Amino acid sequence: MNINKKRVFKNILAYTFIILFLAITLTPYFWLIVTSFKTRMDAFTIPPKLIFTPTFDNYRTAFLDKGFLSNFKNSLIVAIFSTFFSMVVGLPSAYAFSRFPMKGDHFLYFYLLATRFTPVIVLALPLYMIMSKFHLLNTFTGIIIAHTAFNLAFVVWMMKGFFDAVPAEIDDASRVDGCSRLGTFLRMAIPLTINGLAATTIFCAINSWNEFLMALILTGHFTATLPVAIPGLLTPQGTFWGQIAAVGSVITIPVLVLSIVVQKYMIKGMTFGAVKG
Amino acid sequence: MRKKISNNELMQKLFHLPTFLVLTAITLFPIIYSIYISFFGYTLSKPGSEKQFVGFQNFINIFSDAGFWNSMLVTVKFVFGVTVVQVVFGLVIALILNSIVKGKKILTSLVMVPMMVAPLIVGLMYSFILNPQFGLYTFFIDYFNLPLTISPLSSATSALIVMMITDIWEWTPFMVLMILAALQSVPVSPYEAAMIDGATEFQTLRYITLPLIKPVILVATILRAMEAFKEFDKPYILTGGGPGAATEVIDMFTYREAFINFNFSYAAALSLVLFILLLAGGILYGRLIMEQEK
Repeated sequence: MNINKKRVFKNILAYTFIILFLAITLTPYFWLIVTSFKTRMDAFTIPPKLIFTPTFDNYRTAFLDKGFLSNFKNSLIVAIFSTFFSMVVGLPSAYAFSRFPMKGDHFLYFYLLATRFTPVIVLALPLYMIMSKFHLLNTFTGIIIAHTAFNLAFVVWMMKGFFDAVPAEIDDASRVDGCSRLGTFLRMAIPLTINGLAATTIFCAINSWNEFLMALILTGHFTATLPVAIPGLLTPQGTFWGQIAAVGSVITIPVLVLSIVVQKYMIKGMTFGAVKG
Repeated sequence: MRKKISNNELMQKLFHLPTFLVLTAITLFPIIYSIYISFFGYTLSKPGSEKQFVGFQNFINIFSDAGFWNSMLVTVKFVFGVTVVQVVFGLVIALILNSIVKGKKILTSLVMVPMMVAPLIVGLMYSFILNPQFGLYTFFIDYFNLPLTISPLSSATSALIVMMITDIWEWTPFMVLMILAALQSVPVSPYEAAMIDGATEFQTLRYITLPLIKPVILVATILRAMEAFKEFDKPYILTGGGPGAATEVIDMFTYREAFINFNFSYAAALSLVLFILLLAGGILYGRLIMEQEK
């Protein structure tokens, strides 16, 4: 009986602690979302207002009048194409790492890991100069190429893990049935790892969607993604906090929704396979 | 038979070809290009300077540049501060989350929220909260009469602390997730033995749990430290490196040299120094993974 009581008490303590922790950490973010639905008057009153008439004015002003809708489109274009290309380029390599071990694997693996750890700032200047020589600054092609390359190591490593989980016997059976290596890869391995494929796709898209530094350097007026365009709302005449909050909500809410879908694979993806989630 | 094998080998190499072609073009080649530029005196303010060969002068200049050493010191303080706090917080929260049975999944999802928010938005969010006229922070210190400064971003120490808080806020969830994953995969038998031996809860934690999850904590710490070393988005939007250069981390310093002062060759040399530092960290990390796989 005593032990039971102690357990209940400890449980209550644990829930209280976690809920308190969540209240403190989530308040700043919650406040950003709430502010996006406030008028200028409501946003700046002290003490802060919790009850107010919600308005979509900030969204309307930012996305329709100030052109953030085209930045939204740019962000989508860059995320979709760079994700698509990093999957197309990276998948065969992931499959080869999983299925055809060779002597040079160790070196290739190290090469991948090195590119994963190369900071964006290290590549920013040379890529900027190279892209300017090829007239790729302020084009979608330039930023899509850069984001594709940044996601590659991630795609290869994630997908290698998923291919590893498919029994090799399935490949053998398909080979016996007269399928070529390429055919086996396309018709057997890929459909069998559809969950992993979806998770990897989502991660790549999030990475590209949230990326700031490279986009800041390589995009220009017509190709600026949402994160690159946001600082434009901090003007010497004043900061449009309501609109910043609106654009911030549009950037973050889709990511949060998608992250719940891929939560299961989060750890594996972020640690390059060092920790199994 | 022989022909078939060589065909297979060719096929295997072809599978790797696209990835390594792209990586060579977009990462290796730019780094080689940086090495080339770093031997010149190329700066936008001096016409013709792109052809002026200076040897190792840029690298020598880095080591006598007070701005470089300042930003290195800021970065080291930042990396050390955030990593230590994230490990401690991560451990405590993961242990508590792990003891919960009902609602663990939804609570974990909620804990995860900060790390999914784009870093740039994290910076803006804190800038909003710290606004001296209407920020939540300002309201709270007024309301509770807290002995805190009203504009923490205007003094060197408190600005760096704010920077650290933004990163701790964003990435503690990562530590929680890592440690939680480790806790869920520890075997049951040592705990049963400990219970039979009558070990206290603290003893179980100290002598069984911690040693078992130590490898994961180590991997997570290195990974987090390396990521923190590359901090850019949050200081860019929140402090701009200021006041003075109090929060100018090394990425911001390099960015300023490259894209504001347009000292291309000097910035190229800087980025190579950074590359070597991160590569060393990457090798360490790779070794750790290999050891754990064995």
